[in-house]
Amino acid sequence: MADDKDVLRDVWFGRIPTCFALYQDEVTEKEAEPFYLLLPRVSYLTLVTDKVKKHFLKAVKPEDVEEMWFEYEGTPLKWHYPIGVLFDLHALNTALPWSITVHFKNFPERDLLHCLSNSVIEAHFMSCIKEADALKHKSQVINDMQKKDHKQLWMGLQNDKFDQFWAMNRKLMEYPTEEGGFRYIPFRIYQTMSDRPFIQKLFRPVSPEGHTHTLGDLLKEMYPAAIAHDGDSKRFQVLIQGIEPLLETPLQWLSEHLSHPDNFLHICILPVPTD
Amino acid sequence: QNMSLSISPGQTAAWHQQILEQLGQRSKREMENFRHYEQAVEQSVWVKKGNM
Repeated sequence: MADDKDVLRDVWFGRIPTCFALYQDEVTEKEAEPFYLLLPRVSYLTLVTDKVKKHFLKAVKPEDVEEMWFEYEGTPLKWHYPIGVLFDLHALNTALPWSITVHFKNFPERDLLHCLSNSVIEAHFMSCIKEADALKHKSQVINDMQKKDHKQLWMGLQNDKFDQFWAMNRKLMEYPTEEGGFRYIPFRIYQTMSDRPFIQKLFRPVSPEGHTHTLGDLLKEMYPAAIAHDGDSKRFQVLIQGIEPLLETPLQWLSEHLSHPDNFLHICILPVPTD
Repeated sequence: QNMSLSISPGQTAAWHQQILEQLGQRSKREMENFRHYEQAVEQSVWVKKGNM
């Protein structure tokens, strides 16, 4: 049996095979071949697509180059969501590789945040980690770290260094034994069927009576329709890191093992495919 | 403060087994036929072990 460090590795080293193609209407000076890459599920699109930009810039007239952005089947892809979340939410039940369209013009201001340098991604990532630690430990762990420790978390993610990242992130996963878990579980629930970006509320890993809260308990409170009742056919897929954990899975364990590097448990709820 | 990344007896439960199996299936589904693709982030060393 694999131990749980292997779960952390499997989560970290998850990759999405992706085919990038230049948007047809963007005039090119010469043919732009598609570009194929393995994208880390736990990273951010704009952090890992330097090669894509370099590849397509050769084919686009310099005067037509504005900020690069990505789209999947008409949906602009939010770089500030982890790549795995974007894939699970928009493309999970489709054939691989994931086909992403690359744009250099007509930036969709209403849908996407600008991202002109990696420092914007770093600021977003660190702000998520700080928010998560506020929920988990009243910010005590992140505030006790030094600037270089924060940098180690970021550099670990940026350079895909599992050991560098986890040497520091393990501190963010600690909690007093007697409390049985974090103060609150940092989670976000995404759904394709709503304009609301995500659901995020306070939820404890243990009930006031001392019972361990499960994924099912969280969903019962936040999204009851996602739970199929006896005799009902399953209407929704509940995905974390591209897999469907059983509803009896303890939430605290999920938070420690299936959270993204930003320390949030990102949960995608999709209607069950009908075909 | 304690770190609870090790397996407790309760984790031999069905939910734990199912997560391991599904992560294995995920790797197979998403990576098996695409190992020839270039990595977005170059990894100079792919260390398969490590101390935490």
